[in-house]
Amino acid sequence: MISVYYFGAVSLILIGLYAVLVKKNLLKILIGLSIMETGVNLLLVSVGYVSGKSAPILSEGIGPNQAVDPIPQALVLTAIVIGVATTAMALSVAILIHEKYGTLNVEEIRRLRG
Amino acid sequence: MNGQYASLLIALPLISAFFVPLIKGLGKKAVKYYLVAITALQTGIAAWVFQQVYTSGEPIIVMAGGWKPPVGINLYIGHFAALFVLIVAAVSFMMAVFSIRAVEVEPIDKYTMLFLLLMLGATGMISTGDLFNLFVFMEITAISAYALTAYNKTGEAAEASMKYIVLGGIGSSFFLIGIALIYGATGTLNMAHLAQLAGAIDPTVAQVGLALIVFGLAVEAELFPLNAWAPDAYQAAPHPITAMFSAFVVKAGLYAMARLLYLMQAVESWHSVLKMLVIMATLTVFVAEFSALRQRNVKRMIAYSSIAQIGLIALAFALGTQSGVDAGVFHMVNHAIVKALLFLAVGHVAVTLGGTSLEHFEGLGKRMPLTAFAITVGAVAAVGIPLFNVFWSKLRILLAAIGAGYTWAAALVLIASVVEAVYYFRLIHTMWFAGEGEKVSENMALGLVMLFLAALVIVIGVYPDYAWSIAQKAGSDIFNVAQYVKNVPLMGVGA
Repeated sequence: MISVYYFGAVSLILIGLYAVLVKKNLLKILIGLSIMETGVNLLLVSVGYVSGKSAPILSEGIGPNQAVDPIPQALVLTAIVIGVATTAMALSVAILIHEKYGTLNVEEIRRLRG
Repeated sequence: MNGQYASLLIALPLISAFFVPLIKGLGKKAVKYYLVAITALQTGIAAWVFQQVYTSGEPIIVMAGGWKPPVGINLYIGHFAALFVLIVAAVSFMMAVFSIRAVEVEPIDKYTMLFLLLMLGATGMISTGDLFNLFVFMEITAISAYALTAYNKTGEAAEASMKYIVLGGIGSSFFLIGIALIYGATGTLNMAHLAQLAGAIDPTVAQVGLALIVFGLAVEAELFPLNAWAPDAYQAAPHPITAMFSAFVVKAGLYAMARLLYLMQAVESWHSVLKMLVIMATLTVFVAEFSALRQRNVKRMIAYSSIAQIGLIALAFALGTQSGVDAGVFHMVNHAIVKALLFLAVGHVAVTLGGTSLEHFEGLGKRMPLTAFAITVGAVAAVGIPLFNVFWSKLRILLAAIGAGYTWAAALVLIASVVEAVYYFRLIHTMWFAGEGEKVSENMALGLVMLFLAALVIVIGVYPDYAWSIAQKAGSDIFNVAQYVKNVPLMGVGA
């Protein structure tokens, strides 16, 4: 059975990809990238999900056998941090573009050609 | 000495980057010399590691925190990684020397930090033995590359950087999906462990996962159709950074792709992924060479030429044979030398004469003879004239392609080489036979670096045997996966 999490993750990725490929406004493209990253993170977490188990934090009553796979969660934490850095970088470049070109429409940002 | 000291290769640039703000207090010049000193130190460590690995013939395995893989993350510095870590460090050192003169835009301390992080990222990508660790290093490389592309703060730089960010973001997402699929199928992220388990994965999952990873890395490795960012970024980035992009950042992506491909060769659907890569690589060569022909800006032209050569290396790796991989590694070494030389010389012209359009190169033979000589050597080598280093590796790639049954790919690449000859000889003609000019003084330190690189081009061209034997060792490091798995001291899981 395909779990609802996989379905959700793949649809988020596709929505994000659609926004990146189709939208003309730079900010919308960046939002699309963020949505895509979220989808990928959800996919990673659901790969390690075991139905009915609890969060992988070693505490009273929760041994190694009652927890979900901790590795994907560690990966997702890292991936989220990387995503934040990328988004911050992209937004600062978008500010610079707006200063220099006076627009955020990708069809008008075309000085480099050939 | 203990091999664990090799972890300094990662630690040194990271720690040094943190100290940049302190050094900044000593003045603007101090930061630049600090960068030169650190990269020189890194080159020394890399040379020691290289000597260690090549005399003992054993790879250095660094285990983080003393945990054995697959529980802990390990670095694997085999023949390939030792060679390329040395190239990364040496090219960084030369470009740090170049930066003293070439980079005037403020804030120079941020530039220094990003420079060190870029070097760190590429070193890490080449030496890591863990799939997710590879992703993290790839992102470190990518984010510092985005920032460095935009460093000049012109409209063009911001535009190029934005293209790079959007494509790089899509690529890293694909790469991560590939990791999720492969982790879901095998339950491991360690590369050696992965190679052991690869045979048991469901072929469809493995094929999709591997294709996504190749696709994701193709952004970094500048393969068609995901290389639209590359010429823009090369043109807009500061000159030393362009040389670093071409000499090792893209190589790190290519290496990661090749390593993962060959690790998964037990997978049933392996050959269909290879076929996809052969087609992508051949198209890269073809499209890039014809785009280069139309350029009036020399830096952009050489950027396209660099992409074409990268396509050639990717083609060699995608053949799936030992001779192909060896030839690919040899070409990687040669290409790093030639493109570092060309971008350095072109950057020097741009800094001295104020631009890189073809007009600036008229009469260069009379105005800056040493630089013009360096560009000529680089251009002739890049075309693949006998007695220059690229000739040997190009020849071996073509022979390997024919040997693997891809005659059509070899033919297309040969046609593209003719195109390459046309635009390079046009450049040489412009430099030596067009225009007049007064002699301009050339920077001696850069002149020495250029002469050194040009000498290397010719020495490898005349005596290719030594470099070829090193490339063969490095190639078998990638190709011989059984040996790779044996070298990593895997802890029995569940035991």
